[in-house]
Amino acid sequence: MRPFRRDWFQGDRGMHQGRSDRFHEEPQTSHTCGGSRTRENVVTPPLTAQAASSSPMAMAVDFKTYVDQACRAAEEFVNIYYDTMDKRRRALPRLYLDKATLIWNGNVVTGLDALANFFDVLPSSEFQVNMLDCQPVHEQATQAQTTVLVVTSGTVKFDGNKQHFFNQNFLLTAQSTPNNTVWKIASDCFRFQDWASS
Amino acid sequence: SEDKDVGNSRQGQKKSWSCFRRHFGKRNHLCEHGGNKCQHSQLQKDNGKQGIKDVQQIPQVKHSLNTIRHNRGVELRIEGRIQIIVQKGRKPREGEVGQNTQDGTLGSWFKITVPDGMKYDKIWLMNSIQSHCSVPFTPVDFNYANNWARFFVQGASAASALKDVSYKICDEENQKIPIFVSTSVVPYSVRDKLEPKEMEQLKLTMNKRYDPSQKALDLQMFRFDPDLVGLDIDIILNRRNCMAATLQIIKENFPELLSLNLRSNKLYQLNGLSDLIQMAPTVKILNLSKNQLQSICEVNKMKELKLEELWLEGNPLRNTFPDQSTYTSAVRKCFPKLLRLDGQVLPSPIINGIDRPYLIKPCKESYKISEMLKSLVLHFLKKYYLTYDYGDRRRLFRVYHDEACFSLTIPFNPVDPDPSSLFEYFKDNRNMKNLKDPYLRVQLLKHTKRDIVCSLCVLPKTQHDFSSFVVDFWFQTEKMLFFSVNGEFKEVEGKSQGSVRAFTRTFIAIPASSSGIFIVNDELFVRDTIPKKTQSTFAIPVRMPVYRSLLTLSREQRDMVLAFSTQSGMKLLWSQKCLQDSQWNYTRAGQIFIMLKTNGQIPAEAFKQIP
Repeated sequence: MRPFRRDWFQGDRGMHQGRSDRFHEEPQTSHTCGGSRTRENVVTPPLTAQAASSSPMAMAVDFKTYVDQACRAAEEFVNIYYDTMDKRRRALPRLYLDKATLIWNGNVVTGLDALANFFDVLPSSEFQVNMLDCQPVHEQATQAQTTVLVVTSGTVKFDGNKQHFFNQNFLLTAQSTPNNTVWKIASDCFRFQDWASS
Repeated sequence: SEDKDVGNSRQGQKKSWSCFRRHFGKRNHLCEHGGNKCQHSQLQKDNGKQGIKDVQQIPQVKHSLNTIRHNRGVELRIEGRIQIIVQKGRKPREGEVGQNTQDGTLGSWFKITVPDGMKYDKIWLMNSIQSHCSVPFTPVDFNYANNWARFFVQGASAASALKDVSYKICDEENQKIPIFVSTSVVPYSVRDKLEPKEMEQLKLTMNKRYDPSQKALDLQMFRFDPDLVGLDIDIILNRRNCMAATLQIIKENFPELLSLNLRSNKLYQLNGLSDLIQMAPTVKILNLSKNQLQSICEVNKMKELKLEELWLEGNPLRNTFPDQSTYTSAVRKCFPKLLRLDGQVLPSPIINGIDRPYLIKPCKESYKISEMLKSLVLHFLKKYYLTYDYGDRRRLFRVYHDEACFSLTIPFNPVDPDPSSLFEYFKDNRNMKNLKDPYLRVQLLKHTKRDIVCSLCVLPKTQHDFSSFVVDFWFQTEKMLFFSVNGEFKEVEGKSQGSVRAFTRTFIAIPASSSGIFIVNDELFVRDTIPKKTQSTFAIPVRMPVYRSLLTLSREQRDMVLAFSTQSGMKLLWSQKCLQDSQWNYTRAGQIFIMLKTNGQIPAEAFKQIP
């Protein structure tokens, strides 16, 4: 087990009470900080050098930084993903890693070809997301590949079908270059959840 | 003279009179009088400007009609197209209605019409009618046209029994279905029934065209089959009698038919072919290419056939679609299980999941996860929730990694931003859709197992329904396991006691030293559910007079009803019902209303008429 530093978290508490400068630098909306929104890529500013590396010193990076970064990536991502899904369906597979897996109501779709096929066949959609949450995934699980868990929920209407509630989870992994970080979907799990209306 | 059918398609109407002339010119003196100068607009019923009656005023037509009428067995039939059918003179058979009188001995014929019947499935409609009807009957010549469904029966007793069925059957929207009965001439397929020796010949010809190894019947250009032409048997499949005879032979001789080819038969309607569903339900491959089908509505009449392969190319209906993909999806809507269209393999129907969303149980092989891991996880979940519901939640300490994360969310509904029913979860809610403050976003993400377990301990006491659990294993490596649990739980204490919630919990876990797992990430989403009984009572229209029931309410309740009615657009009585079912919780009633409305479960009559 890595040496775990609890104290920084306690220490942070003290800092947060005073609403330190760190927060004021960051505006409160999602479209911020030069996180560029190219059409089919979720791109955010580069991770701090320490975060990008996998050295034990990465642990020293502020937990808060991980969280902020995860939140930023998640919000950008969700906006782009559902917009692409509804309006530019053909471009959707580009958001996935080559070997990504989609589990759609229990059906497994693996690989970009199968994904492209699947999204082609899926009727046109109208998504309404009313929940979004994210967490940075612990390094031990991801072998130091920076990963974010994104969870969404809302309603969706597929053409020709009635509206459904849905839940969706994503694993986003970061692919860092010196200039930016590109996030792609490593795994996607989608499910209707119609407890009341089925 | 021969049987001739001058059917005019919409496109062909311009050529109608010249066709008429061409076909009849050589063989029937009648047509010499039929001119081709008449205005086409008068022939087109679809035009809407002139009615059918006007056609008869056209001098040329009038003359032809007079001439025609004097010949027995000739008829002018107008059904949106002009069809002038000249038949060989034949003796009226028993049971056939003569021109002026009705033959009562074997039973007169009656026409049964269901207005708006087009929206019902044929099989459902006929089964419903049959089961409600006190007298058994055989429907003949069922067809859909102009929004109604129609068929014929023989015998006054059947007809009057069917009259009694009117307004007895309820459809899915709880509307009563009216059934109109009127007298009728003999339906075409009966009147023009093929004679036995014609049937025999037809059977022989069809046998030649049948491939038993493939169970395939090839009826391409059937009318011009040399055998039939040689024997002067005119099989025009557009005509009900010919189609009925063909299907009868299929039913008797090729009962396990798999493939039927009807290419190039000039088919413009499929009313007759839809009987195939009952005659040969095994058909999986159907070729309707190079016909005259104008609209996908015709193809829709075949939708109860479970087709795997369909050919529709070369039909005018293709032009009604702007592109290939809208065409393909419209066809797939008719035939959800279709695998091949026009020779192209369609991508595999994973979308079956949309039409009938089914929840895959964890034991089903939806993902290649080893049995060992699966049972490990299921065992974990069981222990987790048993502890969570009935034990001391602090014991969950062992289950979490030191640096684990946990967060909780509830939905954000922009229409009603503050669903009071989930108030116990408000303070922990980390829904980023309405939580924008980065500081809070960090704070509300519980980090370290101690913080996590502390917050779990203060969440409401629950009772999880294991039978409702659906587990998705959606990612795994040697070092990590991802799974989501969808299910329901009940609140067992406090203000919300008895409320049923739906939840989705996502776990990321890593292997622990012994055969266990550590949770490193845990995300919980809780949503309210609507009790099922509210839905069904809502659907039943209440027939009490409005004011009488309103009087029994308190002033406050009356105000709520008025406000709700204004906001929702529903009539007072329905608004009252909705509020009552929600125990006069205005917000909750509003939520239920929105949910049912978006699912299309509120009947139109519930809403106030817009003046």
